[in-house]
Amino acid sequence: MPQMMKEIASALFKKPFTREYPFTKPHLPEHLRGRQIFHPDRCISCGLCARDCPAGAIDMVQVSSKKMPLIHLESCIFCYLCVENCPRNALTESTFYEMASMSKEDLALKPTEPVLSENTVESD
Amino acid sequence: MAPEEEIINLIRSELQGNALEYNAPRPRRVSVHVRPGAHREAILTLLQSLEFTMISTITGIDLEEAVELNYHFWCGKAEVTIRTRVPKPALEIETITDIVLGAALYEREVFDLLGVKFLGHPDLERLILPESWPKGQYPLRKDWTPNLSDKFRSLRKKPVRARTTQNKTNGGSVVNVVLGPQHPALHEPERFLFKLDGEVVVDVEPRLGYAHRGIEKAAEQLMFFQDVHLVGRVCGICNVAHTTCFCQAVESVGDIEVPPRARYLRTIVHELNRIHSHLLLLGITGLEVGFESLFQYLWRDREIVLDLMEKLTGNRVMAEFNTIGGVRRDLPVSLANETKKGMSTLKDRMNFYGKVFNDDPTFGLRTKEIGILKLPEASKLSVVGPVARASGVEVDVRKHDPYAAYDEIPFDEIIYKEGDSWARLMVRLDEVAESIDIITYAVDNLPSGPYRVRVPRRMPEGEALSRIEAPRGELVHYVKSNGTAYPERVKIRSPTLANIISFRQMIRGCYIADIPAVLVSLDPCFSCTDRMAFIDVNSGQRWVWSMNDIKAKSRLEEP
Amino acid sequence: MNFDTSFFLRILVFPGFLFLLFLALFCDWFERKIMARMQNRMGPSYTGPLGILQPLADYIKLLTKEDITPAHAERPLFVLTPIVSFSLFMLSIFYFPIDGANVFSNGGFEGDLLFVLALVTFAHFTLFLSGWSSSNPYSGIGAVRILTQFIGYDIPLMILAVAPALIAGSLSLAKIASTQIVPYALLIPWVFVPFMLVLQAELEEDPFDIPNAETEIVAGYGTEFSGRKFAFISLSKDVQIVFGAVLTVCLFFGGPYGPIMFGSPNIWFIIWFILKVLVVIVILEFVEAVCARLRIDHIVRANWRFMAPIAVLSFALTVLYSPLGRSLMEVFR
Repeated sequence: MPQMMKEIASALFKKPFTREYPFTKPHLPEHLRGRQIFHPDRCISCGLCARDCPAGAIDMVQVSSKKMPLIHLESCIFCYLCVENCPRNALTESTFYEMASMSKEDLALKPTEPVLSENTVESD
Repeated sequence: MAPEEEIINLIRSELQGNALEYNAPRPRRVSVHVRPGAHREAILTLLQSLEFTMISTITGIDLEEAVELNYHFWCGKAEVTIRTRVPKPALEIETITDIVLGAALYEREVFDLLGVKFLGHPDLERLILPESWPKGQYPLRKDWTPNLSDKFRSLRKKPVRARTTQNKTNGGSVVNVVLGPQHPALHEPERFLFKLDGEVVVDVEPRLGYAHRGIEKAAEQLMFFQDVHLVGRVCGICNVAHTTCFCQAVESVGDIEVPPRARYLRTIVHELNRIHSHLLLLGITGLEVGFESLFQYLWRDREIVLDLMEKLTGNRVMAEFNTIGGVRRDLPVSLANETKKGMSTLKDRMNFYGKVFNDDPTFGLRTKEIGILKLPEASKLSVVGPVARASGVEVDVRKHDPYAAYDEIPFDEIIYKEGDSWARLMVRLDEVAESIDIITYAVDNLPSGPYRVRVPRRMPEGEALSRIEAPRGELVHYVKSNGTAYPERVKIRSPTLANIISFRQMIRGCYIADIPAVLVSLDPCFSCTDRMAFIDVNSGQRWVWSMNDIKAKSRLEEP
Repeated sequence: MNFDTSFFLRILVFPGFLFLLFLALFCDWFERKIMARMQNRMGPSYTGPLGILQPLADYIKLLTKEDITPAHAERPLFVLTPIVSFSLFMLSIFYFPIDGANVFSNGGFEGDLLFVLALVTFAHFTLFLSGWSSSNPYSGIGAVRILTQFIGYDIPLMILAVAPALIAGSLSLAKIASTQIVPYALLIPWVFVPFMLVLQAELEEDPFDIPNAETEIVAGYGTEFSGRKFAFISLSKDVQIVFGAVLTVCLFFGGPYGPIMFGSPNIWFIIWFILKVLVVIVILEFVEAVCARLRIDHIVRANWRFMAPIAVLSFALTVLYSPLGRSLMEVFR
């Protein structure tokens, strides 16, 4: 009992442990498994990412001249098997995690151009 | 003589002609194929001659002309599998619940999902599938697919009565109160029917199966390396345990040697997962007994572990760290130092919590001498994990059946004798301290070398059983391969299924107010417990809860 | 008592109904913030500056929710008990000297301490009825628990509450509050400390939290209430806590009377009143944070084995001490 009382009394004067998100953002580790980044110039249309995805979240869609992967982020489990298995490193990792969206169509990583927003940290 | 050979000779001498085939493919693994009908004799031999026998699980596999039943037992020195084939179409076999009490739920599971009748079973009812599931549909059979949705659509209009037994006491004031499936005390849905006499609990009937997702059947549709990710989703909190166990099983089947660095890394993340799970549970205990400050402090200190997991594996909870042949990421030196720093901070905090758990009077009033499970009952019911170790049963897979790097790392097995809720919580608290030491030792003595070997997609024919110590107890994965890249059968037996049977013993005679405290000291992880066949999400089901109540009837209908 | 506009203004606005309502909401916010800081987290922070509008936001949200009455509930009791309990608790605070005089602008009457305690007993009884009429096993268990608890703890509460009256020489709340040159918390601590514990039991806070033990019986007597009715049940709980704090302030901390710096004495009475209420709430929250929840049999046993004898002993001690106490007060005058 006395330890608990001391701990509680001292906690009253400490800074709270919780943060006021979204006004303060957390510090992200380097290799957080966030949303993938797709480089269409490196893709060779082998289809390994779509075949190996455990969740079946990748479709190969025809974009101009070749077939490229479209990742359905609502099914994606962010296991990064696609990032690991791509032979040309066309899918790379990033720490972008704020993917909340109001419509399912927006929740897809389209192969049209590399998706980079101000919060992504690209690492090769 | 090696213990495996001893066991083979023992069974050979007892059964003679009835035992058809013997196998000891790996250290501490024995399998014996017996004629149908001789399985009881074989099991009795094990029980009578060996000093420690505990049933792990019963696996059923659908072969073309028969259903193969594997009875897995842990016998102190080796895991023994008694195999027998039950020919179709007359799928009947004698039960073993009279000789092994803990087999009751496993036989019900095989009955539910494969359709094998166990003659003489005291309570052969559905375990996992809902009551409205049509008769004759056995999901784990090879010819069953979930495309039979028209059979299920006809159920949409039919109301379903939840199964309750009649009130068997003679009059009196026994009230049936249903706890769940939605209740603030439960973190996953499960239904408990309590029979109360005033404030005292007379009996309880658990009903499992609400978090049923069809993982075993789905695992047969995915390739081995994809299955690692599926299996990790059996339970979020113990996901590292499931992936480690599965990878070990597949590596045994494919005869793949994991490099030493990978084994140590697996141990580190496994122990981090254990600390996370135990801290979570201790915090939940604080919440259940009304000690909210303890809950908040414990979960705040859990953040140390979560941040480390995030840096190590890329995600706070769902690690996805293991793969067949090793681990997916390496541990750089800077991260190793951070880990050690985090662990030493955590160690100081655990000293504080140890004092609170030991000395706090209000906490002690709620957990000491409550929900007692004594040693003889614990052995008979084959409970596992901290529940067993709190009653004095020495069953820690890391010590007795070492895997990963546990044969090279020194640590103690934590045993308490009291068997009450307090002992179960203290076992977990002390295990956190042990895990901190294991991680520090592993980080200091990390061998160099590769952390992963590349493996082919196809695995040779064979089978393997892998056991590990998940945070809640002994976790068993049985993998059978038929030579392709897709597994033939994946069987998962998670520790809560073994422990839920003991809940009844513990809660009899306790007050209602003790129910959450005892339930949480069991550490039930119902997501682990229900994960068997495929359920069609199009089947609309109506649940009608009816409660025979002295005071009033209250009916909740959910469309 | 003349029934003109100032009378009705006093009852309805200040220091009556509206003021007490906002005080209850403010104390709710304060409670949550203090509890959060004791648990090393932020507490309400997003609604309004420092989250001060959070309780108001919660009640507005509750008012927009669907209000369901179960088919088998006792309809009249089910509908009336939330409002009645809220009103009874509110009414009982009207008798305390909030800004120098009580809401009815008179000095109260002899024995209004006992009258207020009786009102609160009725209010607790209506809470029991609200659980009983819900026809839900969880509510039933919660209702039985609240009955067991408050019937048991009412006895030491009454004994301990009357002890300050011995020193003050009167059973009138206004007189007890005004004769505290030295706060009775310091003068008769052997009454004050058990009183705080018994008050925890009356307010159904940890360690005597069992009537609304969320993890065991969902929400106790309040399980079946939703929407407007639940808002009233929740408000009754808040007003109950304010009542407990106000009772402690008047009996042991000298009511609204304190040093007057400048300006009108009434302003200072209100300021001191609110400050003292907040201090009492901090003490209550501290006890709540440090303890786990006890079981009903522990609580009943603790009552009859410890609380009741201790209450009687303190009372006896106060009887013997009262002449000495009164002369001590004369010294400080």
